[in-house]
Amino acid sequence: MSDLLHFAEHGLQEGALLLMACVYTLRIAWLLRFKAGRDRQAPTGSAPPVMSRGILYSWANIAMPWAMESTRTHAVLYVQFVVFHLGVVAAIALSFIIPYAPQWLEARWLVVLIQATTGAAFLVSVYRVVRRLSGKVLRAISTPDDYFSLALLTVWFLFAALAASNQAEAGEGVLLAFFFLTAFFLVYVPFSKISHYLYYPFTRFYLGRTLTHRGVFPIRRGGPQPRAASQG
Amino acid sequence: MKQQPRSQKAQKLIERMAKKLNRQMVGSLTACVHCGLCTDSCHYVLTNPDDPTYAPAYKADRVRKIFKRHFDWTGRVIPWWVGAESPTTDEDLAELKDIAFGKCTNCRRCTINCPMGVDFAVVNRMMRGLLVSVGVMPEGVAVVSKDQWEIGNQMGVLKEEYLETLEWMSEELSGELDDPGAVIPVDLMDADVVYSINPREVKYDPRSIADAAKIFHIAGEKWTMPSEGWDMTNFGLFSGDDDLGGAVARRLYDKVTELRGRKLVISECGHGYRSTRCEGPNWAGMDVPFVMESSVNTMLRYIREGRITVDKTRNTTPVTFHDSCNNARSCGLYEEPRELLNLVVTDFREMYPNRSENYCCTGGGGAMSMSEYTPRRLKSAKVKADQLAATGASVVVTSCHNCVDGLSDCIRHYKLNMQVTQLVNLVANAIVVPARVAVPAAVEPAAAPVHLSLAGRRILVVDDEPDVLVYYTAVLEDNGATVLEAADGDTALAIARREKPDLITLDLSMPGTDGGKVFEALRHDPDLASIRVCIITGRPELRRLIYDRPVPPPEGYLDKPVDEETLLLNVKKILEVH
Repeated sequence: MSDLLHFAEHGLQEGALLLMACVYTLRIAWLLRFKAGRDRQAPTGSAPPVMSRGILYSWANIAMPWAMESTRTHAVLYVQFVVFHLGVVAAIALSFIIPYAPQWLEARWLVVLIQATTGAAFLVSVYRVVRRLSGKVLRAISTPDDYFSLALLTVWFLFAALAASNQAEAGEGVLLAFFFLTAFFLVYVPFSKISHYLYYPFTRFYLGRTLTHRGVFPIRRGGPQPRAASQG
Repeated sequence: MKQQPRSQKAQKLIERMAKKLNRQMVGSLTACVHCGLCTDSCHYVLTNPDDPTYAPAYKADRVRKIFKRHFDWTGRVIPWWVGAESPTTDEDLAELKDIAFGKCTNCRRCTINCPMGVDFAVVNRMMRGLLVSVGVMPEGVAVVSKDQWEIGNQMGVLKEEYLETLEWMSEELSGELDDPGAVIPVDLMDADVVYSINPREVKYDPRSIADAAKIFHIAGEKWTMPSEGWDMTNFGLFSGDDDLGGAVARRLYDKVTELRGRKLVISECGHGYRSTRCEGPNWAGMDVPFVMESSVNTMLRYIREGRITVDKTRNTTPVTFHDSCNNARSCGLYEEPRELLNLVVTDFREMYPNRSENYCCTGGGGAMSMSEYTPRRLKSAKVKADQLAATGASVVVTSCHNCVDGLSDCIRHYKLNMQVTQLVNLVANAIVVPARVAVPAAVEPAAAPVHLSLAGRRILVVDDEPDVLVYYTAVLEDNGATVLEAADGDTALAIARREKPDLITLDLSMPGTDGGKVFEALRHDPDLASIRVCIITGRPELRRLIYDRPVPPPEGYLDKPVDEETLLLNVKKILEVH
């Protein structure tokens, strides 16, 4: 292993992680600086709602595609979302496995799993780029950051799939690209839309708290529309 | 390039945004990933698929851009990269107004469909509030807000008018039940229930007050209505003006406290329920010391407790239920109305989607008072029209007065053969009057003494639609009135000058001299100014044109289609015939 690759896998990653942690801490401190609004209304319903249940429901909403009409009726988009984010998890895991537990990659199945996941995420990511460029609404709401973040992830997925076998002896180019991209990704994330996962717990916590208090969460549906009614 | 100086209003709007930001709001402003999943949840988008400016994410982004430019470090340092922008001119504010008021009803449907939990409706309401604070708003919003600030209710109903209506409905109730004790108590101290209503009920739907009174009376409730602070609606919810919201809510809370009422019951109104029960305490910054509930819960409780008995076979027409956004999506009130409906009707048909996934009636968020956006509203109502038609029902029930108006417009515009009603009307119709309440003995119609309540009254009916003329004439003549007819404005004025009728029912949209001009001419003519006028129009968006005229307002106002009972009630009220 060259010194450059060693640096990319260790010093560079650790520095980038440290920087990301610092910026994230500042980001959360900034968010917490804003006072949380208080809901004075009496809880809805004859029995006080179980707030923790509603908040958990809100947090877990994204894992329940049936819970929201937007995910229920766009199954393909939901599957893409899952594949895309599994790809993120796999690529991040890879960035830790290679430097700290490379022996794990001796298991062929794990390499194949990571390659399949990040490869599928790459394909989804390419589709997302196309969708964002071609859809009127998405184009209207997209910023340069949206395009750049997506492009960055697309390339990152590709290199994660290529780097998963961790064969430095066959050429370090792919590994170097993957780790430099990962480091850039870590530094860039807190300043981009990719940091949405930092806000997710907050937004869904407060929405869950409010709507549970008001008896809206967990959402109750009246069942699917019967055929007869739809023909009305 | 030289930067354009910022307008004073734009500067103030930015400064005031800082005061509106709390953690929930900042979360909603930072968490959007522009995934577009919210897009199809909006009825405006579904009816304008080629216009991205209706997309919830696009609309919220107009606010997000300002937030990022002024409050988020990325937007401050690299604004172009994250799409941060700042309003500079009054034209920029006008564009924001068009989006915040004209392209969103704050129905919150996108909110519950956002994977990130972004509360779009709250963001939009904040922008409305900021615009209102710098005087940028649709004219209707300004007018209604002014009425609520100054007169105490959204429709400018004066205290005398309100009390007269209660007295009138009291007499109707006493007559109906043949019970002098069946009255509407006003300002009764220590009542178990203080009942608050929507001013629309006083103005256009007094029957719902009488129906509620009938239910309270038969349930043996110790109840009252306040003489002041009775309006449970709150335009602050629509305008985003928290100060107005707090002041209006406090008026009501203070009155209930003054009367030492134990429970505040809110009549069927989605935004009134949400404003009074849910948001009001937050806006007013006070913990309310009494219980508040929707009249839907009250009526259901009466039936469950056996305080009233209902006979559902009296309501056999197929009905469907429209969930008000504010009730279902913001207050969790969606199962109780269904339970109640199933107790009072024989044929209830669910609408799809429903409950918190239902589509807006399109009249929410104050849309009914913003006539400049009526064409957009009616276009977006196609979604609701399709929902309604699919049920096969002939009556749509809703627990919201805004929805009553919104749905009525939708039904009229899309020519659906449906009527709109509320649960209180169905419960009152199904209620079994117990033996202890004396009722008039049933008599054969032929044997009943003929009482023509409008006998001796001369009414000029003005409408360019022959069918409508025939219908109104028949109803009024059947009740003893002498009816004169005019199919256009000029003829109406000529007949009015010649005959000096007691009342003119006046259509607004007519060929030649339209109803608005006729109305103004009547008011300006000293010989005719005292003739009472009831506007009856199929174009409620013209309401503003009547009330904005520099002449005394009409004595009555009805939206078409008008059923016989409503027409008679209002004519009798205007003519003070009881």
